[in-house]
Amino acid sequence: MTAPVLEARGLRVAHGGHVALDIPHLAIAPGELVGVVGANGAGKSTLVNALLGWSRGTPVVEGKVRLAGEEIGALPTHARVARGLTLVPEGGAVFYRLSVAENIAAARPPAGSGRRGHDEAEIFALFPRLRERLHHLASALSGGERQMLAIARALRLGPRVLLLDEPSIGLAPRLVVEVLRTVRGLVGPDLSVLLVEQNVRAAIEVVDRLVLLERGRILAEGPTEAMRDDPRILSAYLGEAVA
Amino acid sequence: MNLVQQLINGIVLGHAYALVAIGWTVLLGVARLVNFGHGQIYMLAAFVTWWAAMPLGLPYPVAILVAVGAGILIGLVMQAAMLRLTITQDLVSIMIVTLGFGHLMRGVAGLVFGGNPQVLETPLSYVDFEVAGAWVTAQDIAVIIACILFFLLLHFGLERGSLGRTARMVAEDPKLAQLAGINIKRVYFAVFAFEGAAVALAAALVAPRTPILTSIGFEEVIITFVVVVLGGIGSVAGSYVAGIGLGIFTALFGGFVSPAYATTAAFAVLMVVLVLRPGGLSLGAGKAVR
Repeated sequence: MTAPVLEARGLRVAHGGHVALDIPHLAIAPGELVGVVGANGAGKSTLVNALLGWSRGTPVVEGKVRLAGEEIGALPTHARVARGLTLVPEGGAVFYRLSVAENIAAARPPAGSGRRGHDEAEIFALFPRLRERLHHLASALSGGERQMLAIARALRLGPRVLLLDEPSIGLAPRLVVEVLRTVRGLVGPDLSVLLVEQNVRAAIEVVDRLVLLERGRILAEGPTEAMRDDPRILSAYLGEAVA
Repeated sequence: MNLVQQLINGIVLGHAYALVAIGWTVLLGVARLVNFGHGQIYMLAAFVTWWAAMPLGLPYPVAILVAVGAGILIGLVMQAAMLRLTITQDLVSIMIVTLGFGHLMRGVAGLVFGGNPQVLETPLSYVDFEVAGAWVTAQDIAVIIACILFFLLLHFGLERGSLGRTARMVAEDPKLAQLAGINIKRVYFAVFAFEGAAVALAAALVAPRTPILTSIGFEEVIITFVVVVLGGIGSVAGSYVAGIGLGIFTALFGGFVSPAYATTAAFAVLMVVLVLRPGGLSLGAGKAVR
């Protein structure tokens, strides 16, 4: 088996005395698109945030995280980003007071990293709408455009692994399909993606492997084809009766 | 009362106000933080300049550099002590801690420099020019030139360059800035070092105009507050305009009405402006540094 590009061991997150996440092991192979699904409060966002050591709160995070063979679990967020792990948080977080052009220009891989981020031409090929809105403030963008901008900014950093937290949230169904297809198209030998998605029906069409979370623990995981028939997925997320 | 002289006084005073306030403008605009020890850094830097120039006998430009170095050191020490509060944006605790630092600095200044007022004499203090029947010293002109250069530097370096963009990102959302690979601790340290340096430079240039006492600094922090709020918090150009406007207003009010109530009148203006225009006077009022 190929060595994983991202691997977490004993990842545990607690808020106060409450354990919100307890993942003994999770690995992503190079060029793999892994979907993380689960109900509200299952720990999906907590998982991707913990991998990056990032949070808007002050949780206690324990465990080991390895990126391309390097232990990064003790590093601050910006240092993990510099090494090639990037997150697009829920809601397409962008800098509202910066223009679209500034949001895009603000991100680039650190000098000497050897990684190459998407250049502007590649960004506009992926998201032509951003070119039209280049000189608008990000606050003037629609929800879908903000999501595109947030992904564009992450791609500019030239990540090895991109963590995407619910990119489809708040988007029209047609846009959901478009965004997820775009994500699928990004994955390649140099970029793996961990996609957190509540829209299981849409996610299952694009991911290689599915991880089902419940109450902060992995309930099931496996290749999409196998998981598609998993009764827990069928009954809880695809609305199909299980015999 | 000579109107031209009052106007010149006002312009000099205004540039002095703007120069003293510049560190706070960036501090509040970039880090969304306050420093109520600002006035005491001014006081301490004024003493350091005096000490370096008078007892030590260093040339005045070198004394300015020594004061700026001291300002940077004070800024870094303050930020090191408050880093956790800064990152969690705990403003109330930061206000109290910076007030505490201010009192500490006043105590240290009293112990080190004594309670006697000192006068900082610089080679520029003795050079006078006559302008349309009014007098201005070379020290006053140095204040104006330094202030204009500093604001231009900020305008081009901070508002237009990548440094300014980084600063605005941290100001808007420090957590999100981390996801863009920005080391926010480094930015916060840099901002506090800049604040210390800027107010120390202001002290080194402005302090020769008045006696230096351990009790000075309170009025400077109040005036700074008025300038920064009037200018639109975080607006570099707004602070400059507000500083000049406030200086001219104070000089004219002091000259033609009563110097005793000039600060009171400045606050009255501040209140009126804030009621009519809550974001301050600048065009980009209320925006982060840009």
